[in-house]
Amino acid sequence: MTRAIHARYFGEAGKLFSLYIKTALLTLLTLGIYRFWARTRIRKYIWSATSADDDSFEYTGTGLEKLLGFLVAIVILAIYLGVVQMLLFYFGLNLFTEPTNQVQALAQIGAIYITLFAVMPLVFFAQYRARRYKLARTRWRGIRFAMETGAWGYAFRAIGYYLVTILTLGLLWPLATFRLEKYMADRSWYGDGQFVQNGRWQSLYKGMKHVFIGLAIMIGGGVLAAMMQSDFFAVAIAVGYIWIAVGVVSYRVYAFNYLTNNKVLDGQVTFDATVKTGEVVKNVIIGGLAITVIMAVIFGIVSAVVTGIAQSLMTGGVPATLIVVIALLYGAAMLTAGGLGLVMITQPIIAHAVNSIEFQNADHLTTIRQRAADAGADAEGFADALDVGGAI
Amino acid sequence: METLARYFDGETGQRLTVALRLDKVTKTLCLDHDALPHGTQYWPLDAIRALSEQARKDQLVLSLRADASLDSALITTARLTVDDPQMIATLKRTCPDLDRREVPAGTVRKIVSRFGMAAAAVVLMIFVILPALANTLANYISIEREVAYGKSVVSQIERLLSGSRAEKLTCSNQDGVAALNALTERLTAGSELNYALNIAVFNHAMVNAFAAPGGQVIIMRGLIDRADSPDEVAAVLGHEIGHVEARDTTRNALRAAGSAGLLSLVLGDFAGGSAVIVAAEYTLNAAYTREAEAQADLFGLNALKASGTDAAALADFFNKLEGLERMMPELPAYLSSHPDTKARADAARAFAATQGRTKPILDDAEWAALKAICS
Repeated sequence: MTRAIHARYFGEAGKLFSLYIKTALLTLLTLGIYRFWARTRIRKYIWSATSADDDSFEYTGTGLEKLLGFLVAIVILAIYLGVVQMLLFYFGLNLFTEPTNQVQALAQIGAIYITLFAVMPLVFFAQYRARRYKLARTRWRGIRFAMETGAWGYAFRAIGYYLVTILTLGLLWPLATFRLEKYMADRSWYGDGQFVQNGRWQSLYKGMKHVFIGLAIMIGGGVLAAMMQSDFFAVAIAVGYIWIAVGVVSYRVYAFNYLTNNKVLDGQVTFDATVKTGEVVKNVIIGGLAITVIMAVIFGIVSAVVTGIAQSLMTGGVPATLIVVIALLYGAAMLTAGGLGLVMITQPIIAHAVNSIEFQNADHLTTIRQRAADAGADAEGFADALDVGGAI
Repeated sequence: METLARYFDGETGQRLTVALRLDKVTKTLCLDHDALPHGTQYWPLDAIRALSEQARKDQLVLSLRADASLDSALITTARLTVDDPQMIATLKRTCPDLDRREVPAGTVRKIVSRFGMAAAAVVLMIFVILPALANTLANYISIEREVAYGKSVVSQIERLLSGSRAEKLTCSNQDGVAALNALTERLTAGSELNYALNIAVFNHAMVNAFAAPGGQVIIMRGLIDRADSPDEVAAVLGHEIGHVEARDTTRNALRAAGSAGLLSLVLGDFAGGSAVIVAAEYTLNAAYTREAEAQADLFGLNALKASGTDAAALADFFNKLEGLERMMPELPAYLSSHPDTKARADAARAFAATQGRTKPILDDAEWAALKAICS
């Protein structure tokens, strides 16, 4: 009963890229309606590229149900957002006094944008619903994953924990990370086997190491620079900034590993994740650089072509066809950038993460039985409407 | 032909390595394993479907046609993973509907009805509920708050228009300001105003003028440059004061706050779509309603009449804008939010025909000073 199995990722850059471009073009042609099918097809690809013990995962969601769920969400959101945002704006207006200086004027404009926070509870709500939908549409060896209902509970907790995080200037971030993941993990199932998140939130502080080092460099450097009025120490601020950025990635990788290693499925199956910060950062930097170079070349060609056309047509003002051509080229460039980001950054990171996971005591998985279907009423319509969730 | 394949029954987490047989006579795929009921399962070839968008080409994952459902969670069938290249090739050749997708009955009706609901909700919000709510709320805001808000709007626009050059745009030539004040005073002498007017000229080439909440009116230098007489400037100013007095700008700001985000909600953000959304939202929110425009026109015309100024100046200015539009494909912003220019010019001319004797609102010296307000 101690057999370990490995996860493996089989996706290829070329295939995913052509799938992305194909579906993105269809999305453009249909004025955005195809985006539900586009995302579904990309998920099907990524899920099927993921395997454990050579059995592939399967994504069973459909574009159609995503569209239908989205339309339901629109009805609710249109009413909620319209009314709530206007009321918030109205109360914001009533706080207005005559600004006496620039800072005050800016602060008051900022107060107006607070209306954006009307969306925050819904964003967390949507995050939970999206994860639940994705789990409910994921199968491995024919057995469904699932997540219990609890999106509002999650939204309230998320607001609370993130407020605490902000108020403590990030010091209690590990608490938020751990508790929120535990809330979701403890409600997750594989067939009739339940996941449990063990561990302590204090253990995540070890992963914050580089964030603290970066902060120390930044604050120390900044203070010294101010005291000595030297440009040299300002460099420390830049170094500290980059250190913090990498530190945040390092923290998230550490948290992922820790949280995965402390999950137990059905009281028996455990996991080993050994994702490496270096790999993730490497992918982001190399991918980012490559995309920048490729985009620079594309935009260079585009602008050369555009100036060429423009000069030959300059006599007759700005022709409408030229504007269309520029718009098309711009759209094509944006598409290419999105596709490159997916295959040069997102997919390699997924591949690295998947390949680093090992299941312990995997024989127990054969005793797990199917569970009743979770018919999600809105698919992940709220997440789609609020644009939560990124590329996949 | 025979080969081995992995079978998952969709009920237990067990993996069965079954023996596959293709029976070409009965057109079925037979799965043999001791653990299966009766030792064998029969999959009719025309009921076999392959999963789509599979990343791996070295295997084929099959399922049986299920009763289709609009909710994908309710579709349950077993899965069969085939690795053998020869069997994969044979199955691809002999299964007639391998890539077919079943569409459940009633799909179209459901899509249409949900689309209708969503569209109705959005249209109702943007064109009925939000304007009504804005109308009500606009009446509850105190004038001081409105003034404070309007001033910060103006200073924001000033920052926006000045771009990287961090300079004040407000023109302050003393004689010019005096002429502007004289014009305003004569224009509004006959009417009781709720707001203390705060009128300024911005040093910007745009042919435009706009009102902000709480009595703020901004005229762009380009508009004064284009005007052939002080009466035309007065006509535009009267129109904007009409908007101020009717609280149209406050109402618009409230409505914009409500509808902000509604469009991006609907359209999503695909490949640079945010530019489209910003543009669409601008047109939606920048335009006053048709009635508001007509009311503002009427206010302006009455003000012109009361000050003894020729109301045809408004018509002249509209005609000028029309000519401007034909010359330059990029719309002057003033025009874009004021539709039906021709009809409104005609209305102004008809109004002017009822007027008696008129004289220019500024004398030549004052007009020259106003023209030079930004120098």
